[in-house]
Amino acid sequence: MVFGNAPRALRPYICSSCAKSLKLRSRKFATAASPDIYDVACVGGGPAGLSLLTALRSSKATSHLRLALIESQDLDRVRKWNLPPDQYSNRASSLTPSSQAFLSQIGAWPHIDTSRVQPYHHMRVWDGLSSTARITFDSPTPEPAIAHMIENQNLTRALLARLDSLEPISLLDKTSVREIHLGPPPSPLTPEPTYLNLSSYPHVTLSSNQTIAARLLIGADGPNSAVRTFAGIETRGYDYNRDGVVATLKLPSSFAHHPSSPRGVTAYQRFLPSGPIALLALPGPYASLVWTTTPSQSALLKTLSPEDFTAMVNAAFRLSAVDLNYMFTLPSNQLSEFQWRDSVHPSTASEAKGEIPHLISSVQQGSIASFPLRLRHASSYTTSRIALIGDAAHTIHPLAGQGLNMGLSDSKALAEAIEYAVCHGADIGDEMGCLDRYKGEVWWGNQRLLGAVDKLHWLYSVGSGPVVGVRKWGLRAVDVMGDLGVKGWLMRQAGGL
Amino acid sequence: MAIRLRNFRNLSLLLRQHPYRTHSSSTSSVNPTEVSHFEKLASSWWDPHGSSSLLHQMNPLRHDFISLCLDSQPDPPPARERKFLDVGCGGGIFAESAARLKETERVLAVDPSSGVIAVAKEHAKRDPLLSKPGRLEYQNKSIEDLAIPRSPDEQFDIVTLFEVIEHIDQPASFLKSCFPFVRPGGWLIISTIARTWTSWLTTKVVAEEVVRMVPRGTHDWDKYINEQELRSFFRAQEGWGRDGGLKSQGCIYVPGLGWKMVKESERWGNYFIGVRKDLDR
Ligand SMILES: Cc1cc2nc3c(=O)[nH]c(=O)nc-3n(C[C@H](O)[C@H](O)[C@H](O)COP(=O)(O)OP(=O)(O)OC[C@H]3O[C@@H](n4cnc5c(N)ncnc54)[C@H](O)[C@@H]3O)c2cc1C
Repeated sequence: MVFGNAPRALRPYICSSCAKSLKLRSRKFATAASPDIYDVACVGGGPAGLSLLTALRSSKATSHLRLALIESQDLDRVRKWNLPPDQYSNRASSLTPSSQAFLSQIGAWPHIDTSRVQPYHHMRVWDGLSSTARITFDSPTPEPAIAHMIENQNLTRALLARLDSLEPISLLDKTSVREIHLGPPPSPLTPEPTYLNLSSYPHVTLSSNQTIAARLLIGADGPNSAVRTFAGIETRGYDYNRDGVVATLKLPSSFAHHPSSPRGVTAYQRFLPSGPIALLALPGPYASLVWTTTPSQSALLKTLSPEDFTAMVNAAFRLSAVDLNYMFTLPSNQLSEFQWRDSVHPSTASEAKGEIPHLISSVQQGSIASFPLRLRHASSYTTSRIALIGDAAHTIHPLAGQGLNMGLSDSKALAEAIEYAVCHGADIGDEMGCLDRYKGEVWWGNQRLLGAVDKLHWLYSVGSGPVVGVRKWGLRAVDVMGDLGVKGWLMRQAGGL
Repeated sequence: MAIRLRNFRNLSLLLRQHPYRTHSSSTSSVNPTEVSHFEKLASSWWDPHGSSSLLHQMNPLRHDFISLCLDSQPDPPPARERKFLDVGCGGGIFAESAARLKETERVLAVDPSSGVIAVAKEHAKRDPLLSKPGRLEYQNKSIEDLAIPRSPDEQFDIVTLFEVIEHIDQPASFLKSCFPFVRPGGWLIISTIARTWTSWLTTKVVAEEVVRMVPRGTHDWDKYINEQELRSFFRAQEGWGRDGGLKSQGCIYVPGLGWKMVKESERWGNYFIGVRKDLDR
């Protein structure tokens, strides 16, 4: 009984809903002497956590807050991240203009190495089963771009550099969360008049044995969020039974999707029966691959020689789904198979028109990786003194390239809610005073996006039957109805506008 | 038709409640039954889903209105070390929030009900910031029990009376007893509800009788004061409200959206009024 020890006179004043959530969450009370108390303690220093802390520090209204970051990795590795110009990380994301605007607003954009960032201006999306169904997105002018491709590490390094340039926060890196519990209830004797009642504050015991308490605890700790578990927040969703295969690819050096080219740069995505394959330009002759496919196909791809892997990627953009499926049944030698098949149905004409990407020539060594795809959405982003952001709150299919952007928009919205609360004297850990402003709108927006992307996935992962006809009609219709707003909507989603 | 619509929107006012807002002392204008009435409601003060919910939701608007008054001054208000006196502080919804502001040096919050002061003090212990010495002080007193300041140092930049005067028997003498606590150039900020048939319907009939959101007897409609009445009262006071130092604004509760400032609504619903003490007083 949580309030067993509470002074009798107080019991009536503890509202039933608080008492309920306390009961749900409390396992154990902090016993140590008064812990270090922070206004905001953020678990997780990925893009979501770092951008939230940077936003809070760089805003005049919230720059005075006491902030702590708890991150299990060594942040020096983030600071020192550096790759030669002919190598790119396989973890790159498409950054929307609104994410970019947010990064500028919080002063992080100038810290980004823009020589490693590639804007793109066009998108070609087509259906692998009905080759006539195509959709073309063009930004009206090369500037502004639809979006920018950026390596996640380039982004996190910039966020950290910006954070380092501001009034220091407590950076508790190489430190993980050991346990989270609520503070002790007030003592029955109510001793000194100066005692504090921290029974509603999450207390985080760290691997360093230190315990900190937080007015507001942020879960930015990725899909397996410890903070979310502590808060007892459920997630809904399922596994797609698909893997995302990522790799860094190289096109012939003669080929350039140079930003100076008048046509601008194009992103390509083809819907295959197992899922979409996307090729997103990086600077110079490099490109980032995200290929959604079945776990068995993903497993095969990872065993292939670099030449055969390259041939499979080329085949996936050029050959029919039937040909491609056949190639997946071969244990090796995909390269010669592809060369023969491509010579029968040469695709040079569509390539010249820019409808499909140029042939890629190689894959960067060690860059092929895969990860299981999941759809997850937390049933709520907040409870008393807790807020979830980024992948801790939602994981999305990568076909729209939105995962990272959603995390940044969560940070922006939460930072704004905290700023409003601070300016109106509210307790920033309080749901009504602060967190309700974050959760409502953002949750519904993300829910719509998750739903739309999920439907696209299912629409396109059916190999035959009437659905193929419907989606063929669908993509064509979207392209034709561009002026009527449907395409604009899709493009806005892609551009996060 | 228009009137009915308005009236319907104003129904939300029924949800508005005054768990306790009054002022009482041996010498004063206040009716002791008001005090005991609100004592009974004290327990629900900090329950965000309880009957004080609408007061919690209104709280940001109080700050917005104070900012509106301060921003309207020809001379800039003090950027730091502001001092607040919250009269009829209840469980401390406003007093806590004022004490958290960066610009605040000190908040003194008084209420004649010992029950609500106990709740307020206990609740403040949840916030280390508020426990800093001098930042937020509660006293179980009425305004008449406070020593009258002898110098501007002892006066306050902002004296607030939120949802208080509608529970006062003699509002004029009550307001006058607040005057000496405002420093020259400081503001007296009030929020209350107009005495119109819509407010009678929503607070007396619907809130107390029909929906029973608020216990019977929470409101005494006869004590409601209209914005016009307060305005002329302040106009008549020498040393107050010169150079645009008299502001008012109405607000309406819109279900699903919360409280919104709405022009002209001060004539018939909830409203704020702020009056500035002339700088040379
Ligand atoms: C291979 C891959 C490719 C992707 N491609 C794209 C793409 O093209 N476009 C896109 O928009 N999104 C993409 N995503 C998704 C995107 O990377 C994520 O949405 C984004 O990284 C989420 O950021 P985050 O800050 O929420 O979480 P993360 O980046 O996962 O950061 C969480 C951090 O928390 C730390 N942490 C976790 N638990 C603890 C603990 N208990 N104690 C201390 N620290 C802890 C971790 O060390 C980590 O640093 C991809 C994801 C993957 C895996």
